[in-house]
Amino acid sequence: MNRRRILAVVSKEWREIIRDRLFLALAFVVPSMLMLLFGYGLSLDVEDIPFAVVDYDNSAQSRDYAYRFIDSRYFDFKGYSRDEDLLARQLSTNKLRAYIVIPEHFERDLLAGRPAAVQTMLDGTFPSRTATSKGYVIAINAAYSAELIGSYLSARAGVSPTQAQAMLQPVKLDVRYLYNQSLLSVWSIAPKLIMVILMIAPPFLTALGIVKEKERGSIYNIYASTVSRGEFLTGKVLPYVGISMVNAVILWLLAVFLFGAPFKGDFFFFLFATLIYVSCTTGIGLLVSTMVSTQVAAMVLTAIVTVVPAALYSGVLIPIPSLAGEAQVLAHLLPAMYYANIVTGSFLKGVGFAQLWQDVAILALYAGVLFTAGFFLFRKRPKA
Amino acid sequence: MQALTVWLRRLRVMTSKELLQFSRDFVLVLFTVYAFTMDVYLAGSGVSLSLNNAATVVYDGDRSQASRELVSRFREPYFKEVGQLSTPEASTSLLDSGAAMVALDIPEHFEKDLLRGEQTSVQMQIDTTNTVLGLLASSYGAQIVGQYGLDVALQRLSVAGGSLSSAPSIVDDHRVWFNPNSSDAWFMSISEMLTVITLFSLMLPAAAMVREKERGTIEQLLVSPLSPLQVMLPKIMSMTLVIVALTALCLLLVVRGIFAVPFEGSLLLFFAITTLYVFTTAGLGLAIATFARNMAQAGMLIILFIAPMIFLSGAFTPPEAMPPFIRQLMLLSPLHYFIDATYGIMLKGAGVNMLAPQLLGMSVLGALNFGLGLWRFRRQFE
Repeated sequence: MNRRRILAVVSKEWREIIRDRLFLALAFVVPSMLMLLFGYGLSLDVEDIPFAVVDYDNSAQSRDYAYRFIDSRYFDFKGYSRDEDLLARQLSTNKLRAYIVIPEHFERDLLAGRPAAVQTMLDGTFPSRTATSKGYVIAINAAYSAELIGSYLSARAGVSPTQAQAMLQPVKLDVRYLYNQSLLSVWSIAPKLIMVILMIAPPFLTALGIVKEKERGSIYNIYASTVSRGEFLTGKVLPYVGISMVNAVILWLLAVFLFGAPFKGDFFFFLFATLIYVSCTTGIGLLVSTMVSTQVAAMVLTAIVTVVPAALYSGVLIPIPSLAGEAQVLAHLLPAMYYANIVTGSFLKGVGFAQLWQDVAILALYAGVLFTAGFFLFRKRPKA
Repeated sequence: MQALTVWLRRLRVMTSKELLQFSRDFVLVLFTVYAFTMDVYLAGSGVSLSLNNAATVVYDGDRSQASRELVSRFREPYFKEVGQLSTPEASTSLLDSGAAMVALDIPEHFEKDLLRGEQTSVQMQIDTTNTVLGLLASSYGAQIVGQYGLDVALQRLSVAGGSLSSAPSIVDDHRVWFNPNSSDAWFMSISEMLTVITLFSLMLPAAAMVREKERGTIEQLLVSPLSPLQVMLPKIMSMTLVIVALTALCLLLVVRGIFAVPFEGSLLLFFAITTLYVFTTAGLGLAIATFARNMAQAGMLIILFIAPMIFLSGAFTPPEAMPPFIRQLMLLSPLHYFIDATYGIMLKGAGVNMLAPQLLGMSVLGALNFGLGLWRFRRQFE
């Protein structure tokens, strides 16, 4: 490895990048744009569920019950109706996600001390959203039941309603939310977005940058030159690592100052770990570039190995423990998972090298393997 | 008449040229097939968006029958006990390292308090770095503890014979439609299929266009007797053909074959809408391609469009929770309409009349994209 030759390749690559104005602009604009769009848009909170009420009882009690849902910030009341066919159709066309059917004699049954069954129809198209909505419905019903039984008991046993309630709920659950006390979605998402974006952008830059030379034929200059494989690949990759590090800092600034995510860890440790992660993702681009000979293939391949896994197997939308079988294996094979520990650790938990050294070590190993593989797969002598 | 024949023949020749060019890139073909089969399979078989087996550690300070009964109710599918702790403080490091998501702390005298009819409390610590799961865990936890408390109380007070069935309460009867077992495999395999269709519809035609520009072969096409439309249309048609054929393969082999997702609506309608969608998205790809001079630029531009489309169009994140301006922005994403249409046809059995808004939305976007692409293409070369 000759430092001068590496620098020569770096300066050639750098010049090519800055002379392509649009590309240079996009290299910085794309990550920040994605951060803004995802930061504002990627909310996993299930709120404002559009729902309707079918009230066959039309009594004071039934209206009081329906109000528990109408008042809740999790539900968005769309109106009363008696036409269940219409509501079913609206469930099909996504105008509603749920509707509640209060039966006849609702008030009469409850006043007489009998249970009343309330039906809730839920759109099951998106299972996790359905599970959350179901949870809200169960919670509202349970709270209402507890009040009913409480007042029933107080009337029977002659204690005050509050006392009766306490008797009915002998065990209190005292929930503590750790790391993200106010349960702000953007807090938990903004740091992970850094991971997602740095998973997508650097491999694209690198793979396209290297395959471009292959497709245009300018790679023959390299083949014929004294630059060695290692020197060429290092020189080629360095500018992209540099760009990605600048982007990492911009993304960090956006996460902390725009989205207000708390950063409790050590910034220099974070920067160091990010450098290793970015080397991994540029390494993916490098490996892709050695496998293909056209830019189309490079683009498609990079998209498949980065965009899809970034969405599914990185832990941003779906937590890793929820993955099963092959998906679990895949998640462990990708660098994103380890870096996710580092970002959430550095941002929300305030832990540092002592707790996260394993993840850093795995990433370093990963980068090493990728570059070694890239080195051996890249040939200066094209196949005849 | 003859003019039309010639026009169509040119279209056919150009389309087969594109197909030939695609088929000769072995790695590309290989990965395209992989994406439409294995990738969808992986997503469907391994991804679940619900709270499953949340790793739970327990500190049981009481070690009584009552406390064991409560702990045993924290079980699969939502929770999974991964260890008993000897001190309540031991949970901190397990939560910090991510080895546990939930820590349950049952105080001493738990059983004694219950028997005496005094209120007691159980502490539940939840790692909420993932907000949704944190909330689900707390809601399931509250259900379990609430039910346990009610059971104990009713038994102790022997109110109404100790059972809920003869007390005034709400009997919760919820029905989940369209996916009654909340199968994540159904949801994930369909969503992933849509994602893959989107990726390829945007990339392949755009790449086919930029490639000609970058290699300079576009000059040859321009001096040929082909009109801009005759250059552009075959690129879209050939790639649409490839993508729709692979979608059929994916649907048959993976979505229906392996995951047994039901198909309530019309197959014909589904393929008609898929073709429209691929056309619309390909039009967007071509429009993007006219702004790029080389593939690297095109690649970055495409990422700028594709990542928000996939993440924000409504399959993985609920649109109701998004701020209004992002929701409005997503009206420009053809995937937004395609998601509703596909789930509508496949799971809800929706017909043309129910999908009119989606069809309209896609057609308008397609016409706009295609028009923009054609206009830019003409202006660049004439």
